[in-house]
Amino acid sequence: MGRENTVEEALNLLRSRLCNPSFVFKPLSDSPDSNYSKLKFIISSSVTEACNNSILLLGPRGSGKIAVLELVLKDLLVEFPDLISVIKLSGLLHSDDNCAFKEISRQLCAEHQLLFSKMASFDDNSQFMIAMLRECGLAHKTIIFVLDEFDLFAQGKQRVLYSLLDAMQSVTSQAVVIGVSCRLDADQLLEKRVRSRFSHRKLLFLPPSKEDLQRLLEHILSLPVDSTISHDYAVEFNAKLQNMLADEKFKQIIITYMDSDATVNHLLRFLFRAVSYMELGSGFLSLENFKTALSNIQRQPKLECIKDCSILELHILVCMKRLEVKEQNSYNFNSVMKEYKSIRASFQISEYYAWSICLRAFEHLLQRELICFTDNRGQNQSVEFRPVKLLISSHELQQGLKSYRSCPAILFKLMDREV
Amino acid sequence: MAETPKKHLLKSPRSSKHQAKSTPKPSSPSHFAPVTPQTQTLTPRRSSRLNSPPFDPPIPIEEPKETPRKGKKSSRTSDPNAHRDSAEKLPKLNRKDKEDSVKVDVSSFSPASPEQLESKRKRKRQEESKKVVTRAKSAVSVPKRRVYYKKVVYDGGEFDVGDDVYVKRREDESSDDEVPEIEECRVCFKAGKAVMIECDDCLGGFHLKCLKPPLKVVPEGEWVCGFCEARKSGKEVEFPVPPEGKKLARTMRERLLSSDLWAAHIESIWKEVDGIYWCRVRWYMIPEETAAGRQPHNLRRELYRTNDFADIEMESVLRHCYVMIPKEYAKANYGDDVFLCEYEYDIHWHSFKRLAEIDNGEEDGEEDDDSDEDWKLGKDTNSDTDEDIEYDDENIKSLPTKQSSAHELAANSRKGQFFGLQKIGTKKIPEHVRCHKQTELERAKATLLLASLPKSPPCRNKEMEEINAFIKGAICDDQCLGRCLYIHGVPGTGKTMSVLGVMRNLRSEVDAGSIRPYCFVEINGLKLASPENIYRVIYEALSGHRVSWKKALHLLNERFSDGEKVGKQDDRPCILLIDELDLLVTRNQSVLYNILDWPTRPNSKIIVIGIANTMDLPEKLLPRIASRMGMQRLCFGPYNYQQLQEIISSRLKGIDAFEKQAIEFASRKVAAISGDARRALEICRRAAEIKDYHIKRLKSAPKSVCSGKSLVGMAEVEAAIQEMFQAPHIQVMKSFSKLSKIFLTAMVHELYKTGMGETTFEKLAMTVSCLCTSNGEAFPGYDTLLKVGCKLGECRILVCEPGSKHRLQKLQLNFPSDDVSFALKDSKEVPWLAKYL
Repeated sequence: MGRENTVEEALNLLRSRLCNPSFVFKPLSDSPDSNYSKLKFIISSSVTEACNNSILLLGPRGSGKIAVLELVLKDLLVEFPDLISVIKLSGLLHSDDNCAFKEISRQLCAEHQLLFSKMASFDDNSQFMIAMLRECGLAHKTIIFVLDEFDLFAQGKQRVLYSLLDAMQSVTSQAVVIGVSCRLDADQLLEKRVRSRFSHRKLLFLPPSKEDLQRLLEHILSLPVDSTISHDYAVEFNAKLQNMLADEKFKQIIITYMDSDATVNHLLRFLFRAVSYMELGSGFLSLENFKTALSNIQRQPKLECIKDCSILELHILVCMKRLEVKEQNSYNFNSVMKEYKSIRASFQISEYYAWSICLRAFEHLLQRELICFTDNRGQNQSVEFRPVKLLISSHELQQGLKSYRSCPAILFKLMDREV
Repeated sequence: MAETPKKHLLKSPRSSKHQAKSTPKPSSPSHFAPVTPQTQTLTPRRSSRLNSPPFDPPIPIEEPKETPRKGKKSSRTSDPNAHRDSAEKLPKLNRKDKEDSVKVDVSSFSPASPEQLESKRKRKRQEESKKVVTRAKSAVSVPKRRVYYKKVVYDGGEFDVGDDVYVKRREDESSDDEVPEIEECRVCFKAGKAVMIECDDCLGGFHLKCLKPPLKVVPEGEWVCGFCEARKSGKEVEFPVPPEGKKLARTMRERLLSSDLWAAHIESIWKEVDGIYWCRVRWYMIPEETAAGRQPHNLRRELYRTNDFADIEMESVLRHCYVMIPKEYAKANYGDDVFLCEYEYDIHWHSFKRLAEIDNGEEDGEEDDDSDEDWKLGKDTNSDTDEDIEYDDENIKSLPTKQSSAHELAANSRKGQFFGLQKIGTKKIPEHVRCHKQTELERAKATLLLASLPKSPPCRNKEMEEINAFIKGAICDDQCLGRCLYIHGVPGTGKTMSVLGVMRNLRSEVDAGSIRPYCFVEINGLKLASPENIYRVIYEALSGHRVSWKKALHLLNERFSDGEKVGKQDDRPCILLIDELDLLVTRNQSVLYNILDWPTRPNSKIIVIGIANTMDLPEKLLPRIASRMGMQRLCFGPYNYQQLQEIISSRLKGIDAFEKQAIEFASRKVAAISGDARRALEICRRAAEIKDYHIKRLKSAPKSVCSGKSLVGMAEVEAAIQEMFQAPHIQVMKSFSKLSKIFLTAMVHELYKTGMGETTFEKLAMTVSCLCTSNGEAFPGYDTLLKVGCKLGECRILVCEPGSKHRLQKLQLNFPSDDVSFALKDSKEVPWLAKYL
């Protein structure tokens, strides 16, 4: 009973670690070349030396841009209490100028215990922001603007960015604008006068190297020796883990998995799955867990969709494929049905489905997104007249048919032969 | 003066704790010889002091014997305070002082907590709101009672509005003791003509020749006398005793710093009906009196400006002192009464705030006239009394909606005048700001900031002269024909800065009286919510009223075209500066037309200066606008490399942080790309930052030795340029996962094969599977591949359609295929990729 509890506790610990980005990114942050220390230097120098900066954090999704930023901000808030206020905006929510200014004012008011009015106009809010920038600059306070999904702010007139950056170059303020974006060309999106005011510091977030990956795995998965978890168990767990990490097979699994996407977040998702497969009985992570996780996480949804189709649906798909081979580019339900009838006639297929059943099968295919309408026009037309397209390639269809449990032989023939 | 008995004074509770200056103990004068350590910091300090007293010793106070001299007399007929103040003039100090009686009655002095004052304010407000109606009426009927002066000769001293003075703290404290104007040397106890140096710690003065060893010149930077030095290191120090019969006199400065006196800033001076002179003052505070107490970085001569005002009689004013901002303080040479003031202290919130640069305030003050002087002063400051007055004004306007005044106004609405901004301030001035010794690199970074604007942009003299000539030509004519100037040039070429520089020069000429006053309105097109809003903004800037844009347009049309002048201010010429003019282009271009049409009307007296980036903006517009705007143009060409070099080196003058070639390299690079001065400055700043980062890293790592040279060289500039101008895609591609690399290779391969930039996912997947099978890789499957493609699309390495299109998804490389080949050619993971690139 006690043992099970320990295992449960260990499992909970591992899971909570996997969901806590600041824990995950901690070990990657101490080297001088890491983004953490660079970013911290830039921000803290603007706190201590009273200067304005604008920084872009670029990198593919899941590479830990926000996580590292949060780490830096957390540390700086401890280091300079009361001197930093953070304003967070997201491009998905606040790309509209009016809305962005309102949100900035709201957060500034909340930060400084001022009363906020929803009714204030665009002018009021933008002037309030500039006044606040000046006042905070005079009081040695730094305002950090974090613009998530920065590329979405760089649309249209870019009033928000212009006002912010223009204020930063004309008012004695200390502010840092941090843009976070996964688009590598985010700074090219800026309008020329905005770009001229932007100070173009860029930090690139890259996927971890092999060695970092190994370190990361060890850091995340090994249990702490000095905690509530029983010491002996933790030591044994860690020893087994070390063995596994050194195992070539295990390395191969990780490499295979990371082949498609090398970011940290991607890895975390996999680890979470693997940890969840851990057997409570034995209480240790095994290679099996990772293998199951891999096979479970690498799935081919379209192929599985085909597996679930009925015979009639497969017929329809094959007919559509045949139509495409005949270079008939635009087809709808009726033309597919015509093809189906001709096949039935020439191959003497005995099954007969009523028209309405065929239509239902067709709709089912539409819903599963194996086929789709070519365009959005003619919404009010009924389904059978709207042109459709096949969404899976013939290759996939072939594969799907092969893996189908009891696929009629005639379908293979139809696929291959051109009649 | 030494007999000013300390025991008679009722001291404020906290004031004594920092009286670190120990009184001299008897000992032989030569017992301890002050040595002259040469600590080098950049804190501002007075290097030497003037020995002759700046003005005559004050005469014993009797009656105010002289009425003010000529001065600029200006009287206010309708002062809202006059009525009430004269009513309760009986006590020596008027209403404001009664509430803040702390300033009079020393015994009750204690820093009032904000809550208390808050309640006081509320009470006051209520009182005043009761009076509102009567006051509004009486304001008209009250005859001229007070006479305001700009300069008063009182009791032998000449006091201007804006002077700093010592103020008596107690009623009975007399100023007729022989207050020494000059301090004696702490060693030989003679004043003499010889140069004296001041210790930065105890503020004692020393003759250079009395020091041991004697100093020839006043050292740069901070200097601490031997006594203080010794005391700091824990030794017992015995000061030299003054010779028999001579007592150590306490100067006013000492009395102020031990809070026996006050210092204040005169805001206005007036004479009441009964002939007594009053002045309104703004108090200064010594660090000991603040809530935070004396902080370790406070200088000995530091004072804080408060937002606390009081009306006092001129009688309690003792004499001048000089409170200066650090820049002036470093150069000051006024004798002993010089103080440093860098921060403002909010007495309600106990918070500090740096004083704003003085010329900031001037720029928006176009409309002030002589008659408005004290009103204006009140407006600038953030004090609560003034707020109350404004508040009352609002109450008068909106009496029916009185209940709304109960709750606080929102900070971000204009009606509240950004209410509560005074709350913002640090509770303690952070130490790193004051104590930190800036390295050369940090100074370089600070001067290279975009925000630290020079007074006038270098290398733009010709253009500035042209603007100057244009404006002068337009406003100096008696007729004042309206004109229009269009300025264009790429971003970062100093367009706005030049115009503002010209306006600053003109403003000083107006102050000097050589040209007529004008009003100047500055608008940025990108900061307007919509183009039509410009009317509202202009009208508000000219008249101070807020109306809807339609109404504003109507009123402006009336003013500019029909020549209907309302007030006397309206006949001044108006200069309208519109930045980012292209943003005002609407569908039917009516906004631009209206604005540019005004100058062509007779009697409009408006001058429009438009700034935009595009050279051919007038040509792009309707012909009727082009004909009104395109007449006079001024082009700001991109800077060439010599100009950029000059701009950078003029900022870096006196700072040894950059190698010469590094600056040249940066400026040549920027000149070749855009000629944008901002870019050049940013590159240099970034380069300095990179250098600084490396140096600080090296210092933190113990074993490595710090390289002696800390100049920014080519390598850093190169790195900064790379960061600014190069897209990071190559680096990202190199670090991609294996499948992404194969995907990209297949894209390039497909491009070579078909010659078409665009491909579909189906074709690409075929290519990938071909590549994989012929090189012994496992084909990952269509769905995984699709995911990889979408990831690449997210980073904008590819441009692609949404993934739901699956097989039909269109893909295209976003970067040249050469970049991809370059990045992937020598990939260790998948060496076979090189074959296909």
